[in-house]
Amino acid sequence: MNELIVRIAGTAGQGVISSGDIFSLAAARSGYYVTTYRSFPSEIRGEGQCAFQLRISQEKTYTVGHFSDVLVAFNQKAVDVNVKHLKSGGILLVDSDEVGELSGESFMEIIKYYVPITTIAKDVASVKAKNMVSIGLIAGLISQIPMKEQFKNDIRRRYAKYSEEIIDSNIKAFEAGYEYASSKLERHDNLNNISMSKSGEKLIMSGNEAIALGALVAGCRFYSGYPITPATEIMEWLARELPKVGGVMLQCEDEIASVTAAIGASYGGTKAMTATSGPGFSLMSEAIGLATMSEIPLVVVDVQRGGPSTGLPTKSEQSDLNMAIYGTHGEGPKIVLAPMDVQDCFIQTINAFNYAEQYQVPVILLSDAAVGQRRECVDLINFDSLKIVNRLKHDRTKDAGLYVRYRNTKSGISPIATPGDEGGAYVATGLEHTELCNPTSDPEIRKMMVEKRFRKLETATHEFISAKKYGPDDAKIGIISWGSTTGAVLEAVDMAKDSGYKIQALYPRTLYPLPQEWLQDFLADKEIVIVVEHNYTAQLLHTLVYRCNSINKDIKFFEILKYDGSILSAREVYDRIDKIIRQQSLRYTFSNDTTEHQYKF
Amino acid sequence: MTEYKPNDYKSAVKPSWCPGCGDYSVLNALMGAMADLNLNPADTTIVSGIGCSSRFPFFTSTYGFHSIHGRALPVAIGLKSANPKINVITVGGDGDGFSIGGNHFIHASRKNPNITYIVMDNEIYALTKGQNSPTSHEIVTKVSPYMSVEERVNPVMMALSFNTSFVARGFSGDVVQLKDLITQAISHRGFSFVHVLSPCMQYNDKITYDSVKEKIRPVPENHNLSDRIAGMQLVLEVGTYYTGVIYKQERPTLGDKLNEVKAKSQANLPVDFSVRDIVKQFS
Repeated sequence: MNELIVRIAGTAGQGVISSGDIFSLAAARSGYYVTTYRSFPSEIRGEGQCAFQLRISQEKTYTVGHFSDVLVAFNQKAVDVNVKHLKSGGILLVDSDEVGELSGESFMEIIKYYVPITTIAKDVASVKAKNMVSIGLIAGLISQIPMKEQFKNDIRRRYAKYSEEIIDSNIKAFEAGYEYASSKLERHDNLNNISMSKSGEKLIMSGNEAIALGALVAGCRFYSGYPITPATEIMEWLARELPKVGGVMLQCEDEIASVTAAIGASYGGTKAMTATSGPGFSLMSEAIGLATMSEIPLVVVDVQRGGPSTGLPTKSEQSDLNMAIYGTHGEGPKIVLAPMDVQDCFIQTINAFNYAEQYQVPVILLSDAAVGQRRECVDLINFDSLKIVNRLKHDRTKDAGLYVRYRNTKSGISPIATPGDEGGAYVATGLEHTELCNPTSDPEIRKMMVEKRFRKLETATHEFISAKKYGPDDAKIGIISWGSTTGAVLEAVDMAKDSGYKIQALYPRTLYPLPQEWLQDFLADKEIVIVVEHNYTAQLLHTLVYRCNSINKDIKFFEILKYDGSILSAREVYDRIDKIIRQQSLRYTFSNDTTEHQYKF
Repeated sequence: MTEYKPNDYKSAVKPSWCPGCGDYSVLNALMGAMADLNLNPADTTIVSGIGCSSRFPFFTSTYGFHSIHGRALPVAIGLKSANPKINVITVGGDGDGFSIGGNHFIHASRKNPNITYIVMDNEIYALTKGQNSPTSHEIVTKVSPYMSVEERVNPVMMALSFNTSFVARGFSGDVVQLKDLITQAISHRGFSFVHVLSPCMQYNDKITYDSVKEKIRPVPENHNLSDRIAGMQLVLEVGTYYTGVIYKQERPTLGDKLNEVKAKSQANLPVDFSVRDIVKQFS
C-alpha cells in the first residue's frame, strides 16, 4: 500500500487543526503528496467538534480519501462522531485520560490503543501539548516512513514566533509521543505494510493561498476586500505579500466598496482582484455589470459556502453557479471558471487574469470552502513557461487620431487607455454609450454595442473554452462535475473501473461561456449521464447540460447531489454510481437519505 | 510647460443639465480651479456615481469614470491607491453621496485618500424627476404626497463628525468663492470635501438662488480652521449656511500610509526580491 490516511479529531481549541497542519507540511516537505481536509465549527472555541483528515501518498490524489487508517480521538465525542470513518482493521488511538474502555459493535473490527496522552503531555510540557504528543505517536507508528526530523523542523517553523521554551516543550511532547509509540505500542501489519517512495520537491499550500499566489504571479498589484469566511485567507495573505512587491491591499467597508475599488484600480491600469463568499458576492452583482459595461478587466473570486443568506459560513457548497452566470442584471459577457483542486486554484487564477485582461471583462472564479481551506501539494512553478497576458493598450504612436475607446472592432476588443496617457482621455461608464463614450439610447448604436461586447467572447470560444475528459471514449456512462467535486468523481471513475464499469468523466474548464461543442461531443453517444454537484438543484445540469443536449434525446440523466455541508468522497460517488447503474433511480441526494448514507465530518 | 485655460477642460459634449441648474457653476468653478492649478487633463480623472450632477465627467476633457449609483468614492479610492500620480476629483449629488453611498463617505474620511469630493446638493432626486433626498426639507413630492416623514441630514456636520480632513461649503450662486474653495480642496493633501448648495430649477422650490442667498454668511474671519468643535457650532447654527473653509487638518494620507506599509514590508528584503522569492514559503 502506498498511501496513509490519518484523521485527528477533538474539540475545537485542542490543537486539532495545528497538528493536522504540521503533519501535512512535514509529509509534503518529506517528498510525499498530501491532500487534507479540515472541518471546524464556526465558533473558534467552545463545544464544537473538529476534525482534520490527511492523505499522504506516493502519487497525486484528488481527495482526502474516505476511510482512514488511523484515527486519533482526544475525547469520547470525537470517538463517537468519527469512528465510522475508520477502516475495518484501522487503528483507533484514544486519550485514555479522557476516554474509557471502548466496547460494542463499532469497535469490533478495529485495533484500539489507549494512550494517556494528557498525562504524557503534562509530564514533559503542558496539557496544551496533547496534539504534539499525538503526532509523535503517529510518527512513531509509521516510523518506516522517515519523517521524524521533518516533523521537528515543522514544529519549530510553526512556533517560530514564540519563545524558545515553547518550541522546546512542543518538540519534547512530540518526542515523548514518538518514544511511547516505539517502545510501548505493538505495530500492526496494516501500518507496517505502508511504504511510499518520495516523488520529488513540491510546494504545499491551501486553495486560498494558491489563489492569492496565482494572483501575484499573474501580475495582480491591487486587492480590495472585506473579511468573510471562508475567503479571508486570500486577503490576509495578500495583505502580507502584496506590499513586498509594491502592491496595495485595501480593506474596505463592505463588498460593494471592495469590488468598485478594484474596478477603479483596474481602470487606473493595475491588475486588480477582490475575493469574497456568497453574501459578499451577492452584494457585488451590480458592480460586476459595471465592469462588463465599461469593459474593465476585473477578477472576482467567490469562495463558495452554504447559502442562502448567511447559510453555512464554514461549510462548502457549489450553489453560486447560477448567480455567477446569470447574477448580474442585463446581458453582457463575463467569464466563469472553477478550480478543481489546489493546484488548479493557482492555474485558474492566472487564467482568470489573462482572460480578464485579454477580453476586458469581469472573470468570476468559483472556488469553495472545500478546496479553499484544504492544503495540497502543488507542482513547482516554472516561471519561464507561464503565459501572462496584459491588456491591449492604446498606442498613440500607431493611432494618433482621436482616441475611440470603444471602437467597434472585428474582435470586439478595443485598445484601452489608462489615466496618465496623453491623448487617451475617455469616460468609462455604466451607461450604454457610443464608441466615443457618450451616453446614448440610439437603437442602432445600442444594437452595435451589445453585439460588440458579446463578440469578444465569440472570438474567445475558439481560444480557451474547453472541457477535460477522463476515462475511455467508448464508455456509455458519462459523469459530469465541476469545481471541487471533480476530484471525487475522477477517483470514483477509477474505482468503477476496478469493478468493471466503463465510465467517462467530463469537467468543463470554463463554466461560462459553456464549452458547448465539448459537451455535445461528450453527450453524443452516452446512454446514462450522471451529474455530481454540491447543491440541491443540480445547477450545472439545468443551466448547462440540458441546453447542450440537442443531439441525443435518449440519454437518461441522474443526479448525485449533496448539500448537507459535508464533502462528497470518492467512495460516496462510487456507491451512488453503482446504485444508479443497478437500479437506475433518478436522483440521489444525501441529507434525506437513510442514515447509512450520511457521512458527517 | 503647457498652461491650461479653463476652456481646455471643456469637452465637446454639451451639459445635459436644465437651464439655471446650479451644477453649471460647479463645472465652471472646477474648470477654473483646474486651470489655476494647471492640472494636466491627461493626469486627471473625474469620478462620479449616478444622478444629474454625476453626468459631470462627460462634460470635461479629463479622464472620467461615470460609475454606478453611490459608488464614486470607492472607485476613486481604488484608482488613487493604485495610481497615485493621478489627480482624482470625485463629484456627485446628495442622494448619491448621503443616501445610497453614505457609508462610503464615512470610510473615505477614515482612509483620508488624497482626493477631492464635491457634492452638488440640490436637496432632491432630480434625475428621477423629484423625490425626497436625504437633504430635502419638508417637502411634498410624488413619494411624499401627504408629508415627509424623515429628518434631513447635515452633510457638513457629517463630514466634521467623520473627521474629514478638509471641509468646505460653497454656493452655486458664488462661482468666484466656489473656484477658490475647490482650488484649496484639490491643493489639500488628504480627503477634501466641498459641499455645494446647488439649486434645482425644475423639481425643488425649497432651494432657490434667492432663498440660499438669504441664509448664507461667510465663515467668520476669526474662525479657527483646526477647531472641529467650533466648526460644528457654526454648522449647527439654525437658519444660517456658513460658506468657506470650515475645517482643515494636516495628517498622513492613505497614500502615505500605503507607502509606509510598503516600506515596512520591504525593510529586510534583498534588492532583487521578486515574486519568485515569495513562492519559497510554500516549499
